[in-house]
Amino acid sequence: MKIAWKEMKKSKAKFLILGSIIFLVSFLTFIISGLANGLSQDNAALIKDLPAGQFYLDEDANQTYNLSKIDEDVQKKTLADNPDATAFSIQMGFVNDAEDKQHSVAFVTSTDSDLFQNVREGEIILDRTLEDEGIKVGDVLTNNQFSGEFVVKGFVDQQKYSHAPVAFIQMKNYQEIYRVMEMQAIFIPGKDAPTISGVESFSNKEFLNAIPSYSAEQMSLNMIVWFLVIISGMLFAIFFYMMNVQKIGLYGILKAIGMKTLSLFRMIWYQMIVITVVALALSIALSQGFSIVAPEGMPFHLTLDTVFMLSGVFLVVGFIGATISGFQIKKIEPLQAIQQGEM
Amino acid sequence: MSAFTIDEVKKTFTNGEIEEEILKGVNLTLKEGEITALVGPSGSGKSTILTIAAGLQSASGGEIIFEGKDMTKMSQEEIRHIRATDFGFVFQSSHLVPFLTVEEQLQLMLDVSETKTSKKEQSKAIEEILKLVDMEHRKDAYPSSLSGGERQRVAIARAIIHRPKILFADEPTASLDTKRSKDVMELLQELTRTLHLTTLMVTHDEEMLPYADRIITMRDGYIVE
Ligand SMILES: Nc1ncnc2c1ncn2[C@@H]1O[C@H](COP(=O)(O)OP(=O)(O)OP(=O)(O)O)[C@@H](O)[C@H]1O
Ligand SMILES: [Mg+2]
Repeated sequence: MKIAWKEMKKSKAKFLILGSIIFLVSFLTFIISGLANGLSQDNAALIKDLPAGQFYLDEDANQTYNLSKIDEDVQKKTLADNPDATAFSIQMGFVNDAEDKQHSVAFVTSTDSDLFQNVREGEIILDRTLEDEGIKVGDVLTNNQFSGEFVVKGFVDQQKYSHAPVAFIQMKNYQEIYRVMEMQAIFIPGKDAPTISGVESFSNKEFLNAIPSYSAEQMSLNMIVWFLVIISGMLFAIFFYMMNVQKIGLYGILKAIGMKTLSLFRMIWYQMIVITVVALALSIALSQGFSIVAPEGMPFHLTLDTVFMLSGVFLVVGFIGATISGFQIKKIEPLQAIQQGEM
Repeated sequence: MSAFTIDEVKKTFTNGEIEEEILKGVNLTLKEGEITALVGPSGSGKSTILTIAAGLQSASGGEIIFEGKDMTKMSQEEIRHIRATDFGFVFQSSHLVPFLTVEEQLQLMLDVSETKTSKKEQSKAIEEILKLVDMEHRKDAYPSSLSGGERQRVAIARAIIHRPKILFADEPTASLDTKRSKDVMELLQELTRTLHLTTLMVTHDEEMLPYADRIITMRDGYIVE
């Protein structure tokens, strides 16, 4: 594919412009999807990091975990039938530190389980972000609905819910603060989803979408990401279309001397792949760099998995765009080009 | 020995409602090692018969026999293959690839014709042809830096580098001055003889006729002599 490469070298400016646009678009895409992912972690890491399984809410809860109260008998029976199952509750609230400073948290409590932190009465385990706010192991925290005190037992990474750090507390303490005896939800890890009467079941994804703001947030950001991907495909189609229009004469001559149409397509594909790969490599490097220098409070979380998945999509979309623009090459008559050249 | 026969070839163009018969049955046999010059008034159908013979457009009737096979019955892909391997083309303008050097233009033609010789032999062949057209000193130049005559010589080199059997040339000297035209014609004459080409050339220029072995005159879609 020397001819394709030679052309790029000869018309550097044109290809550099396209390359920079693709670079900017893909970089922006990576940043936004890093933000989408970061926000989603910030909003729901607690739930997202659970293994695949089934969530159960009270049938009358209108698919809202806040309103859900699992019947105690149902809970007992379910936990007995499914040894891995756990019942849990989440409520937004706050704790006061020794200086009486308030920190918002999402209180989480659960029955004995490996899936959530298990704490004893009067103890509390917090998300690591609270450590950054100055709380240390051994500190004593209070809550105005709670008669006792919480001693900070430790910190855990990436346990966020509804953009607040999670605070794991013991069931009895939780029941005192929120004055409820029932748990909100039951989670059963694993593939099979037993049907349990009186409750409604949700997949992990469905449960995430039941978190207020989660789907709205994710949907708008993901929409931007896919728009950018489609735009980059259209850029390729438009760019190569305009390039091809300028080169109709050349393609005609190449066809006249016997070049296969497929070879002409290969030329475009080669150029598209070179541009995309270089632009993506730059974007990947820069977006990874960005995740290091991103400001502290910015919820930016870009995994290499996401980056490579999106890069693959960019390549496919670029290929489709370039190919669509190539259809006009198919129609070029060699003769027409020769005569045009003579006019 | 006849390598190429055009038999009762007709061509009709339809312009809206009007059908116009441009070629009304052209018969012509080309001979190996000879330049056949096609002359005649403008609009008489010279370019049309040349491009039909070269497989660049289809005929409305008749047969074109190349190596015993009727090209009018071949598929597009078969005709493309013949154009790539057995035909060479020189047009009024050189139609070189703007972003390839002289040497690369020739390499491209070798690639297109799927010439199966080794890289070393190919670069040797390129060198020889460039010497033949007296362009070896400009082998790394791009078309934009060549003069019209130089470009046309490169175009001729490209037309013969893959050792075609038939060379089609439509007014190859039209963009050149008399001196340059004569150089190009001498070159075509020499190449036709030494490489045993069969050359069909359209020309307007009386002065180029002495270089032809045979002169065929067209008028109103017929060959008149
Ligand atoms: N694609 C086409 N559609 C309609 N008419 C055409 C087409 N191509 C050629 N013609 C007509 O066919 C006639 C012969 O054209 P042709 O190009 O073969 O002439 P020519 O002998 O090469 O002339 P010149 O010496 O000026 O190059 C002209 O009247 C031209 O208008
Ligand atoms: Mg003509």
